[in-house]
Amino acid sequence: MARVGLVVNPGAGRDIRRLTGGASVVDNRAKERVAACVLDGVTVLSEPPMVSIMPDRAGIAAAAAENAPDTVTVEILDLPVEGSAEDTRRAVAHFRESADVVVVLGGDGTTRDAAVESGPMPVLAVSTGTNNVVPTPVDGTVAGAAAAVVAAGRVDTDAVTTRHGTVEARAETPTGEATVTGLASVEVSARSFVGTRALIDPADLVGGVVSRAHPTEIGLSGATGCLDPFGPEAAGGAALRLRDPATASRTVRTAVAPGVTATVGIESHDRLAAGETARFDVADGVVGADGEREQELVDATVDITPRENGPQLIDVRDALDRAARAGVLVRD
Amino acid sequence: MSDYTLDSAEGRVEALRRMLTIRSFDETAGERFADGEIPGFVHLYVGEEAVGVGTCAALNDDDYIASTHRGHGHCIAKGLNPKYMMAELYGKADGYCNGKGGSMHIADVDAGMLGANGIVGAGPPMATGAALSIDYQGRDQVAVGFLGDGAVAQGQVHEAVNLASTWNLPAIFVIENNRYGEGTPVEQQHNVDNLSDTAAAHGIPGVTVDGMDVTAVAEAVEEARKRARAGDGPTMIEAETYRYRGHYEGDEQVYRDEDEVERWREQDPIASFKERLIDRGELTEAVFEEMQAEAQATIENALAYAKEADDPHPSEAYEDMFGDSVPEIERFAQQATARTDGGDH
Repeated sequence: MARVGLVVNPGAGRDIRRLTGGASVVDNRAKERVAACVLDGVTVLSEPPMVSIMPDRAGIAAAAAENAPDTVTVEILDLPVEGSAEDTRRAVAHFRESADVVVVLGGDGTTRDAAVESGPMPVLAVSTGTNNVVPTPVDGTVAGAAAAVVAAGRVDTDAVTTRHGTVEARAETPTGEATVTGLASVEVSARSFVGTRALIDPADLVGGVVSRAHPTEIGLSGATGCLDPFGPEAAGGAALRLRDPATASRTVRTAVAPGVTATVGIESHDRLAAGETARFDVADGVVGADGEREQELVDATVDITPRENGPQLIDVRDALDRAARAGVLVRD
Repeated sequence: MSDYTLDSAEGRVEALRRMLTIRSFDETAGERFADGEIPGFVHLYVGEEAVGVGTCAALNDDDYIASTHRGHGHCIAKGLNPKYMMAELYGKADGYCNGKGGSMHIADVDAGMLGANGIVGAGPPMATGAALSIDYQGRDQVAVGFLGDGAVAQGQVHEAVNLASTWNLPAIFVIENNRYGEGTPVEQQHNVDNLSDTAAAHGIPGVTVDGMDVTAVAEAVEEARKRARAGDGPTMIEAETYRYRGHYEGDEQVYRDEDEVERWREQDPIASFKERLIDRGELTEAVFEEMQAEAQATIENALAYAKEADDPHPSEAYEDMFGDSVPEIERFAQQATARTDGGDH
C-alpha cells in the first residue's frame, strides 16, 4: 500500500514576528484541523494511501488520527519526542525509508528541517508557519489529494516535482568554523545575537544569497525578486548586498517580513551560478536562514553559495492537473 | 534605561554578573535552608536566571515588576541588595520587609519591585494595577507581571490580562514556563502546547521565546515595552526555561529523572552566555572566574550580615499593617512589648 508521511510542527508559526510584524498566529488547534484536512484529502482515491504521522506532545497527531476517515489507515510513528527540530528530522529520515511522499505542515524553517533528511522522496510543503517562501499556501484537503495521487504513483512524479535549491554558508572565525543552510535564502544581519531568531528590523539586514527570487516572496528573496525574478527551479542564485537607503542609488520597497514593508537600499545585485560563492565579511553579526537568525559571528568571513541539492517539491496544481487529465479522479 | 542593557559589552557583562549573583544567592539559600537556619519555605530560581535578568535588562529603572513565590532572581535582576534580601530570609529587622515577609514576600517599591508573592498568579493583577496607575498618571513606564506555567490556569491571571488588554494598559506578562507546576508536567495542566497561545483569547500578541537565552528574553521584552509605550497595550511572553532544583527545597522530585535535568543543564543560561561573550572578545575565562568569586563573596557577606543582624522586636509584628492607628492593635503591641520586657503578663 502506498504511504504518505505527515509532519506537523507544533512549534511553527509563533515567533516574535507576531509582535513586531503582522504575522498570523497558527495555533495547534488550527494545525490539527489542517492535518485532519490532509487525512480527508487522501480519500480522493478509492484506495487511499496509508498515512503515518510524526508524534508530538501537543496532541496534534493523536487528534488527527482519532478523527481520520474510516477508509484511511493511520499510524503514529513510535519515535521519541524532544519538542525540537530534531523531531522533524528524525521523522522525515524514517519516512525516507518507509513512505512514498511526505507532507510537511510548517513554514520555511520546518521545510528546511525536513529537507535535510528527505533525499529523493517528494515533499509537499503546506504553509502553516511564518515565512512561507517555500511552502504552498494551499488547503490541507487539496494537499492531501495531491499527496495521494503522487504517493500512489497515479501521476509521473518527475513531471510534478521540481528540485529546489539550497543556499549554504560557511563561516570562518578566529575561533572556528560554522555552517548554516537555507532553502530560499541565507541572510547576513548586523544584529549581534540570535535572540528571538526572527529577522525583525530591516535596518539590520546587510545582504545575503537567495536560491529563488520573486516579489511575491517575503524577505531577501522578495527584495531580490524586485530586481530580477527567477524561480526555485532555476540554476544558481543571486547575491544581494544592501546599504542605507538614504545613500543608495537604487532602492526597492518590499515585504521584508509579514506586515513589514520597508525601503531597502541596494549596494549590489549579482546572479550566481550554482556553486559560485559570494563572500561577506562580518565584524559583529548573525548569519540566518530563511528569515531566522541562526549563527552569531564575530570577525568572520562568510562564503555563501547556491547549491542544487534541495528537496524534491511537489507542485500541487500540476499533480492534480495531471491526475484529472489522466482520469484518475473520475470513477465510472 | 536600566543600569544594564544588552546593547553594550559592559551591559552584557553586568547581565552575566547578575545571573551569577542570583545563582550564588539561591545556592547559598538552599544550603542554609537545609541546615535549618532559614525559616519558612524557599523556592529557588537556579536555572531560570536568564528570564529575570533578560526581562529587567530591557526595562527602565523606574519600571515596575511584580514577582512570584520564586522571586529572589527577580529581585537581584531589578537591582535589590542581596544583603537586605538575605536578612529578610533570616527574618531580621534589616530585611526588606523588616523580617516579616521572608523568602516569598520580598518587596522594594522604591526599586520598582512591587513584591514577591505566595499566592500563585498574584503577579499579573499587581502589574495590571501598576499599569493602570501609570496610564492614569501619564507616566513613561511599564509594569511587568511574572507568573509561572501553573499560574496560567488561575482565574485572577485572566482577569488581570483581560482588564489590561481591554483598557490598553502598559503591562507585560512574562510566563516562566519551567515545565512543572509544583510536580505536575505542563502538558497535564493545559490544553494548549504553547502557553502564549492564551494571549489570543484576550486579543493581544503572545510569543514564546527561549528562556535559557538572556538575549532572546531581553529582545522580546524590549519589543513588548516599545509596544506598551506606543499605546498598543499589553503583550504576553512565554519564556521556556527550567528549574534545576525542586519546586521547593526538600521536594523529592519523583516526577522527573536526573537525565532530564542534565539535558536542560546543557543549555545552562550562564554557561552559554559566558561562552558567547568569550567568543565576542568581551570576556576571558580568568575574568569570569573572578566574577564568580566576587558573586560568591557578595553572597557570603550578605549571609554574614543576615546572621549578625538584629531580630525585629516582637512589637513590630503589629507595625506596617494599617495606615491609621487602630486602638486594638496598639493594645496588642503594648502587651507584646510588656511581655518581652519582662513586665506583667
